[in-house]
Amino acid sequence: MVKIDLGKTSVREGNEQIRQCGQNGENVEVINPDARHHIGVGLVHPITVKVRGSAGYFCAGLSDAAHFEVENNVGWGVGDNMYSGSVVVGGNASAIPGVAIRGAEIVIRGNMGSRAGQVMKAGTLCCAGNANFMAGYMMYGGRIIILGDSGVKIGEDMTAGEIFIGGKVEDLGSDAELTDIDSAEVDDIREFLDRYQISFKGSFKKVINAGKKLRYSTSETQMRSIPFFTFSGASDYWNPKIQEDLYIKSQIGRYRIRGYGGARPLPHFSDLAFRKDLSQAGSESNVIPNVRMRTEIGGINGAQPLKLSMPVMIAPMSYGALSASTKRAIGLASTLSDIAENTGEGGMSDAQRGAAKQLIFQMLGGRLGWNIHDMKRADGLEIYISQGAKPGLGGQLMAKKVTPELAKIRGIPPGIDLRSPSRHPDILGADDLVIKVEELREATGYRLPVSIKLGAGRVRDDIKIAVKDGFDFVELDGMQGSTGAGSAEVIDYVGIPTLPAIIEALDALEEIGRRDDIQIVLMGGIRDGVDAVKALCLGADAVAFGTSTIIAGGCIACMQCHVGTCVTGIATQDPEHEKRYQPEVEAQNIHRFLESVRWQIAAIANELGYDDVTQFNRDDLVALTPEAADITGLPYEPQYGDGDIDIKVRAVV
Amino acid sequence: MCGIAGIMLKGSSNSFKIGEALVNMLNGCQHRGPDSTGFALYGESQENTLKLRLFVGQGDESIAAIKSIQQLLDEHGALIIDDEQVGETYRVTVNYTGDILKISYALEHAAKVVSIGNSLDIIKDVGSAEDVDERYHIRKFQGSHGLGHVRLATESDVKPEAAHPFWATGFADVAIVHNGQITNYWKMRRRLEQRDYEFHTDNDSELIAVYLADKLSQGDELKDVLKTSIDDLDGTFSFLVSTKDEIGYAKDRLAVKPMVMYETDDLVAIASEEVSLNKLFPGQALNTKEPPPGTYNTWSRSI
Repeated sequence: MVKIDLGKTSVREGNEQIRQCGQNGENVEVINPDARHHIGVGLVHPITVKVRGSAGYFCAGLSDAAHFEVENNVGWGVGDNMYSGSVVVGGNASAIPGVAIRGAEIVIRGNMGSRAGQVMKAGTLCCAGNANFMAGYMMYGGRIIILGDSGVKIGEDMTAGEIFIGGKVEDLGSDAELTDIDSAEVDDIREFLDRYQISFKGSFKKVINAGKKLRYSTSETQMRSIPFFTFSGASDYWNPKIQEDLYIKSQIGRYRIRGYGGARPLPHFSDLAFRKDLSQAGSESNVIPNVRMRTEIGGINGAQPLKLSMPVMIAPMSYGALSASTKRAIGLASTLSDIAENTGEGGMSDAQRGAAKQLIFQMLGGRLGWNIHDMKRADGLEIYISQGAKPGLGGQLMAKKVTPELAKIRGIPPGIDLRSPSRHPDILGADDLVIKVEELREATGYRLPVSIKLGAGRVRDDIKIAVKDGFDFVELDGMQGSTGAGSAEVIDYVGIPTLPAIIEALDALEEIGRRDDIQIVLMGGIRDGVDAVKALCLGADAVAFGTSTIIAGGCIACMQCHVGTCVTGIATQDPEHEKRYQPEVEAQNIHRFLESVRWQIAAIANELGYDDVTQFNRDDLVALTPEAADITGLPYEPQYGDGDIDIKVRAVV
Repeated sequence: MCGIAGIMLKGSSNSFKIGEALVNMLNGCQHRGPDSTGFALYGESQENTLKLRLFVGQGDESIAAIKSIQQLLDEHGALIIDDEQVGETYRVTVNYTGDILKISYALEHAAKVVSIGNSLDIIKDVGSAEDVDERYHIRKFQGSHGLGHVRLATESDVKPEAAHPFWATGFADVAIVHNGQITNYWKMRRRLEQRDYEFHTDNDSELIAVYLADKLSQGDELKDVLKTSIDDLDGTFSFLVSTKDEIGYAKDRLAVKPMVMYETDDLVAIASEEVSLNKLFPGQALNTKEPPPGTYNTWSRSI
């Protein structure tokens, strides 16, 4: 037994020692814990850790296989995301015990706080005392045993799993119901209680999901396919978009879900032009060697940065919204172009990891697919707060796409209309967020950059929080960003466009004198290298491409991504459709597109007389419309003509 | 977006210095708010004597501000007993028996009033608990009870006057620290403004303080006022309030803002996180309690 004294050692050092003991197979005793946070986070070896006192937030979080015994109380989120192993808490547990667990056993001998087992996927959470409100909130699976009283709204919006209550069921949550209990289940519970020496003589009541909210009551049938470009092109008052909207709503009687981005004209990069005449840009035979483009993102606080061959990344898009083949093609293309790819919401598959040389792993509120092992093999971690296409809302994945294979990686039941939680169980303010960021850093030994994905809303406030909470970089997403499924009204009408997003972010950082303390990756409707350079001129450190890569890789932009029967095999999980997609071929197509972006960036830099992409600056740009001038503060000089210049791209691949 | 702390010594216990205890508790949760730190400290009081603290800035600005403060005090018949300029604040003790609401609103014309009370003194500034202690020597303060707060500024600026605790403008000795967000702020504020109350910040915590103090001034018990606040205030909040002789908390029904408490025969201590309570009792496993959602409670100083 190795003794670690947290009165003398920092938690960070303590955790390193605990992980070392894990590797050596030695058990650990933690003394003077004094309710400090993150004790034992990231441990993945089957040792026993005894905590002599109280532990703070996320004790045993992001761990697998270890056994924790905490003598006294624990703070928020004990056993967060634990895979297997156990935690036994001698005293009380604060809010969200067993949040997002994926198979562990968590036993609380005292009472437990609110939202116990929120978004848990598997395993057992047992409380010998009383639960507070909303136990089993949005749980996707597993078992909660409460020997005392249930608290109000038990099983609120649970999707699956079982909750057994020994005491009083005070009040059922939305879409939860009482059901019969069979003797085998009771025997199982007795066996569990015996194993943890908990005596309980009473009987149990059982709460499960009532199944009334798992699917939309009306499914949206495809009427006809209007390509996105037609859909968004005409500004006539009654246009094909309005017409289609009316037809569909007349059938389904609710808001529409669709794929793709907003179709309203908004101030965007086309409203900016270069001050210098770039008509000759790219006429030189090879501009690329003349410009230094390598960009490091995420290393400003000491983590290992992403090393990009140009200031470009792939925007987060999930395996789920996209087929495995598409994620593979994008991953391969990102490797060929030596930039970074991003998992999006759906977890990390071996295929994705294998295809992408550099891969950011994204964590969302539902913790779908999130786990310590994939964190460890990621090159960056990202906390998703929101996205430009639908800020403030969670993802939607219709049942057709929730296949058994996909459900397994996400840890959810197959065949539901998955509406991902819009907020995190443990991030309800900037103060909680800082503790969460620290947990991710602790779990991965401070090795990986941690970023925050922000859909543009209250950018001014959000970016200040991001920098104060110590993020290495922000992926800032304007409302021109696309989605695989979102409600049509939100896609078109909610959010802040990409241009004001970057300007507000920079102003806010300037205001608190902290521009150098965070890097900004801008995204949201960035189409090509010309847009990318404009973003860099405005002050972004890098840009990310989502929609453009999909289109480069064969998407026909029919906006039916949510339906799951994508004819190109991109936005589908149906093998019949997916087999049309040829990842190796499309990877080359996407790669060639990315290389055209590289060429354009280099050609513009060259023509502007720069030899480094960091030299782009605001003085290179003018605004072509009064709106764009007002938003960006650039001079309004419409005589510079066309914002959509054509930079010649020579064959580069 | 912050961390809060409160402590009250019961009986004749003097095993803790209030100032030192609060600095240590806030040290424990400084991660919740790195921008600014503040303390509401309750010390000995004398009849007809008021302690005032005002933000006066620095240099010439402060000289001018102090001059007009002294002039206003004189006009209102407040006799200066003792004064001192510390950091960007001016602390002055006066003999005064008049209307506190009136004198506090008048003083706002000269400088931003931090606090007024018989026993209350609010000290708040940018920086950590240690930083503020270094400037104002908080640890030395003995006293009977007090509140503390660390702040991460989200919507408003990082300025000393935007830091917590908030004094209930116009009401002696009422202070508050708050973690959360009041969403019916403007509605509640308009109601109070219609009754001629003045607000000197746009911070929702000032609103809670004035709301509570207004009800207290009508003769309601603190406990009842806290009960009503849970119904009247909309949003997410965990707050601590203190008066000359009492300390209390209220927590909204969704309880997403944490709060943990520890009570012995000698003291009651409340904080955002248990780690702060453990700072008072290092190495001990404490039998703490988490106040349930939608609850409130008060403790009185036994005199």
